This record gives sequence, structure tokens and C-alpha cells, in this order.
Amino acid sequence: MIMRLLKNLRNRRVLIGPFILFGLALVAFSVLTLTQSTAKAQEALVSTNPNDIAAGAVLYSEHCQSCHGYQGEGGVVGGAPALVDKGAAAANFYLTTGRMPLNAANNEAIRHHAFFNPAQIRELDAYINALPQITGIGGSGPTIPSVEPLCANQGTLAAQSEKGCVTLSEGQQLFSINCAQCHQAAGSGNILSNGNVIPSLNNANITQVAEAPLVGPKPMPIFTELSHAQISAIAQYVIYLHHAPNPGGFAIGRIGPVAEGFVAILGGFCLLWFAARMIGNRG
Amino acid sequence: MSTTEERMSAQKRMRLARSGTDTVDERLGSSKFLTSVLDKIFPDHWSFMVGEIAMDSLIVLIITGIYLALFYVPSSKEVVYAPTSGHVYIPLVGQRMSEAYQSVINISFNVRFGLIMRQAHHWAALIFLAAVFFHMARIFFTGAFRKPREMNWIIGLLLWQIVALEGFTGYSLPDDLLSGTGLRVIYSIVESIPFVGTWLVYALWGGRFPGTSLIPRLFVVHEFLFPLLIIGLLTAHLMILWHQKHTDFPGPGKTETNIRGSRIWPQYALKAGGLMMLVAAVIFLLAGFVQINPVWIYGPYHPYTISAGAQPDWYLGWQDGAVRLWPHFEFRSFGHEIANPFFPGLLMPGILLNIMFAWPWIDKKIYKDYGPHNLLDRPRDKPFRTGVGVAAVVFFVVLTMASGSDILANNLHVSYEAIIVILDYLAVLGPLAGFVIAYKACQRLSQTDFHPIQRPVGGVIYRTPDGGYHTVGDVHHGPSHDVPADAGANGGHNGTASHAEGHVDETVPAPTAGD
Repeated sequence: MIMRLLKNLRNRRVLIGPFILFGLALVAFSVLTLTQSTAKAQEALVSTNPNDIAAGAVLYSEHCQSCHGYQGEGGVVGGAPALVDKGAAAANFYLTTGRMPLNAANNEAIRHHAFFNPAQIRELDAYINALPQITGIGGSGPTIPSVEPLCANQGTLAAQSEKGCVTLSEGQQLFSINCAQCHQAAGSGNILSNGNVIPSLNNANITQVAEAPLVGPKPMPIFTELSHAQISAIAQYVIYLHHAPNPGGFAIGRIGPVAEGFVAILGGFCLLWFAARMIGNRG
Repeated sequence: MSTTEERMSAQKRMRLARSGTDTVDERLGSSKFLTSVLDKIFPDHWSFMVGEIAMDSLIVLIITGIYLALFYVPSSKEVVYAPTSGHVYIPLVGQRMSEAYQSVINISFNVRFGLIMRQAHHWAALIFLAAVFFHMARIFFTGAFRKPREMNWIIGLLLWQIVALEGFTGYSLPDDLLSGTGLRVIYSIVESIPFVGTWLVYALWGGRFPGTSLIPRLFVVHEFLFPLLIIGLLTAHLMILWHQKHTDFPGPGKTETNIRGSRIWPQYALKAGGLMMLVAAVIFLLAGFVQINPVWIYGPYHPYTISAGAQPDWYLGWQDGAVRLWPHFEFRSFGHEIANPFFPGLLMPGILLNIMFAWPWIDKKIYKDYGPHNLLDRPRDKPFRTGVGVAAVVFFVVLTMASGSDILANNLHVSYEAIIVILDYLAVLGPLAGFVIAYKACQRLSQTDFHPIQRPVGGVIYRTPDGGYHTVGDVHHGPSHDVPADAGANGGHNGTASHAEGHVDETVPAPTAGD
């Protein structure tokens, strides 16, 4: 049977179809990835187009105003914060991670599917960004950060001294100093006191990771001491962890010795217990 | 019941074994010794094989450990990770780390078979301890620690302690983030010992935490001291077992002075050898398919770094859990403060261990039974002891759960404070409830004499000439179809027909056949 297969392969007509399909797939893939990356780069910028701001104002009045106030002055319901000085980064972070809008004012803002589509989020970002000018009060908050690229020679020490780019090594160190104590070393998330959930970073995209230390979604503080390059390095490292080379088999949730203990007892020892039961006599 | 064919094949096997021993005898003159060794009979209840799982894991640990020791560098010397050849883990390039951590990264990425050996070593340790705990529970619940086996109970407890410490030193050697965190916890616990704690940690660590002398010291302890103690104590454990002969459950034809089961050669050797292969197979399957302790993600340890969800390996979880659950009070008197970690970290485990060491003698007092025993108790026949055992197991499980309290809270969507309160109550009330339930269950079971999950055991079934059946020596009152009619004169105990030479399963005729 294998011989027949090889014979068929030698008959090249058989291969033409797959080749064409593969070529088409390659072209489609490269087109898609190229357009996607340019689209992403545009999205990272905050629009100052008056049309976007106006559209954002409409969305704001429909979905946000009831808590955050007429023009983002805050405090209408419960502890709804003022948005005037929070900046586009905060708007973008809360909206793309689905933390806002809340169903009820006393709900905890945790990660959900985004309520708005990307175009609407862009418009709302533009509106929040324009709020200081519109109202004439408050300093402007952080804008949506653009993450610096990774250096070319990551595997060598030379990368450390390159300018205008960041290294994963820097990112790993900054992550373990600043982030791992809550988000866990592999970014798997955990829990804090008073029922505050620390989200896993496995679903976050690079912009969201870069925004979080600027925005400080409570109980996470604002990391004022981190520079733009340092935040970029952390964001690059977190995204690297999503697809990091992972030798050694299934990662079992990357939550450390608890999961390992479960597997060892339930998967390893119980199997051997069963084996002993099969080998030995039963009373 | 053995047929002529079975007898002949058994004789053939015997001749083969004899020719082997003759070969040895002609050279070393030890055939007599070998024959007696190979003819020794072990009872073959399955639960007696769990201790062997522990021993087989130890063998895997020794073999993989030797391999790892060839490549591990026990040094705290600071180096900069910048490999120029082989596989490089990119996020660590340019980082300062200890030579020990660098060597573990190299074992994981660059040494041939390094990662699978590391993972097998770690999985084997976790399975080893699981088997140790099961074995310990089996000994306790069946009263196998009674005279003349008190010595072996104590050796076994010492083995458990040393094996757990050996596991902890192994956990600490990679010098990654988790290792350092664990060492810091132990540092604080040792430091909390009244009066001598501070001096002791300075002596152990050779100065302040983290220092540079601990890793080489841990290596010596993990590599030489503890393995020697384990192998020495295990040898004593097995020699005493050999000398005293194995215990067995009561059953038809089993007395305090006889042993029924399989001869070492060939039946038991095949069973034990097969189990050993299976242990190695399961450990290496896990090592190949499931990642354990990805040190490259945790990163090197620096005293200013910490990760959420840092736990010890599961077998030390109960001590970590005790520290987590212990209420926060401090104790001052005569101008001295006894720091909080001392109570849950050392005092409580110390008291528990002492009770465990003393249990054979406590048991004697409770049951006013000072004589030797070679037949085991069924757990139901000693409700108090079984109750105490169940209480201890519940306590252990609750504390182990407390060690993963953050993960538990996160996955159950309960606040961390609530989990701590729940576990605090469970740690006190759980064992009490466990004791009462086990005690009552044992009483009921020993009244009805039903096995909770199996058909009744013990007793001899007789077939009368007119085709009727009746049971002698069994007190169960269950429905008669529980016992298959074709069990015939074999009795309910061994179920199947005869196995092979050396397996004694003929029934003893009852002195009086009832009516």
C-alpha cells in the first residue's frame, strides 16, 4: 500500500492540486496578516477627528452618562469616578477588556466580552481624550501607548545595548519585580483580599497590558515609576508568554505545585494503586 | 486442588530455580541461603504492594538523581546568562543568576535527556510521597504497628520525615523563584524557635538570608546525607520485615503462626518486578507528557521578587497550610517573644509527630493488649483507632487544602478571607466529625459484618450430598446469592481456583461440620 502511494506521488499530476491550494493559502495568509498589522497600528492611535468625537459623545450619553455624569465629571451614582482626567488609555482599557459598561453600578469591573465594537470604542476613546478641552477642566490623562518593538538580536548580550527597542530579558525582570506578586510568575492570575480577583493575563492583548500600569484598574495601582520603555518591555514579555516555547509537555494551567500535586496523586499514584490492586489478591 | 499438569510445570520451574542456585553454589557456596530466600512466602493482598510503589519510585529517584547530579552545579556564585551555543531561553539572556540556576536551565534546555530526567525526578518524588502516605495509613488502620513491629513503625515515621525533607531540599536546589520563596519561609520558621532560632539560622545559612553558602550545603544534604539515611533506614525497615515476616489479614486457615501467599521465586518476584516496571512507566509517561516546575518561567531568585500562588510540593502542604490557617497572635513572657510561625510551623507538627511515634504504646494502653500479633485487625473491629486515623487524615487533607487556599478561593469564586475562615472551622470540626462518623460506621459494619463495597469474605462453604449449601465460620447475614455457588470448597477467600506452586489455598476442613 505504501508502495502504491509512493508511485502515485511520483506521478506529478497528483501534486498540482495541493500545490495550487497551498500557494493560494500562502497568499491569502500573508495578505491577511499584513492588513491586520496595519489595521492594528492605526487603531492604537487616538482619533482627534471631530466626527469621531461627536459620535463618541452620543455613545457616551447613551451608555456612560447615567453614572459618570454629563461630561465625565463623575460621582452621579455611587463612586463612579470622574473621567475628565483619565485619558484615552483608561477609556480604551476599560472598554476593550469589557470591564465597562457595568450592568449595575455596584458590580465589580471584571473582564468580559467587549460591549462595543472596535469602531465605537475608537469613538469613545476620542471623546474621552477630548474631554479636558471640551470642559476646560482637569489635566489630560495618559493616551493609548504605542508599544516599542523587540530588539533584533534577542538571544545575545548585544541586544541589551540597542536603542529604541526593548528586550524580553528586561521584560521578565520587570515583570517578576512589579507584576508577578499578584498576577503570578506565568501571568495566570490569582486572588487578593476582599474578593478582588487578579485576572489572568492570558487573554490580554499587548495594548491592554501596556495600558494597565498607566490606568491602574483598581485594586491595581498606577505604576508611575515605570518608564514607557519599561512598560513596553513588560507588555512584550507578557505577549511572549502566550506563545513561549514550552518544553516538557502539558502546562496544566501553569499554577504551580497545586496542579502538579493533583496530577501526581490522581494521575500517577491512583494509576499505580489500581495496578497494585490488579496484581495483588483482593481479600 | 492442583492438577497433575500444574504440579509438573511447578516441578519444572523448581528444577530451573535449583539449577540456578546450584550454579551459584559451585562458586560461592551460598545455595542454602539462596534457596531459603527464594522460597520465602509473602502474602499477596494488593494493599501490601503500595509500599513497593514507594520503593520503586525511590529507585527511579536514585537513577534520575545520579544523572542530574552529573550536570548540576551547586554554587551560588553570580553569573550572567549568555550562552553562545545550543538552545537559549531568550527572556533570561543577560540576567544575573546563581550558577545553580543556570545549570538547571542548561539541564532543561541543553543537556540530552536533561529535561525528561528532571521531570521524572520531580514526578517520582511526588508519587513516592503519595505511596508513603498510603502505606502509612494502611499500617495504622490495620494495626500492623503492634508488637513485635513497633520498631518498624518508628523507622517508617523517620523515613517519612527524612523523605519529606529530602523532597524539600530538592525543591530548593534549582534556586528559582519558588525555591527561594520556600527557603525564606523555612528561614522564618527556624528563626522563630525560642532562644536558639536566630543562632540556628545563622549557623545553617552561614549568615543572613539568602547568603551564598546554603546551596552547596543543601547539595551535600540532598545528595549524600539524606540518601544515605534513607537507604540505611530502608534497609533496616526491610530486614526487620524479612525477619519478622509479613502480617496478613485474618482468613480461613490463617493463624498467628503461619504465612500464606506466594513464594518469592518465581511468583512474587514477577509480581513485584512487574509493578516496578509499571511505576517506572507511569513516572516517565508523566515526565514526557506533563510539565512540572518550569523553572525558566519562574526566573532566578532575588530576595526582592515573589510570585503569587507560591506553594510547596503537595506533601509539605499540610505544614504550609498550618502556617496559613494559624490565628495571628504573639506570645510574650519573661521579656521574650515567641514568634508566631513557631506554633504552626514547629510546635503543632512536633506534637503530632510525637503522638504518632508513641502510638503503638498508646494503642496498647487503650486496648489493654500487650501481646504480639501477626494477624492484622480489620479497621472496623477497632472503631476507636479507625476513628483517630480518619480524624488525622481529615486534618491532614484540610491543612493540605489550606496550602492552596489562594488557588481554591480563585477557582471557587469565594473571597480569600472566607476560605480561610471555612478552612479554620474545617480544621477543628472536620476531624471531630470524621472521628464520630468513622466510629459509628465501624460499629455498624462490625455488627453486620458486611464489606462496604465487596461481597463478604471469610468462611467456608460446604456442599451437602443432596445439593444444598451452608457456610461455616462466616457470620454474614446477607442474601445468599452474594456468594457464587461454584466457589465450592475453595471458600470465598481466594475466589478463583488454585494459582501455582507455593500458593496455599486449600481450605481447612472445619472440625465440626455444623449439623
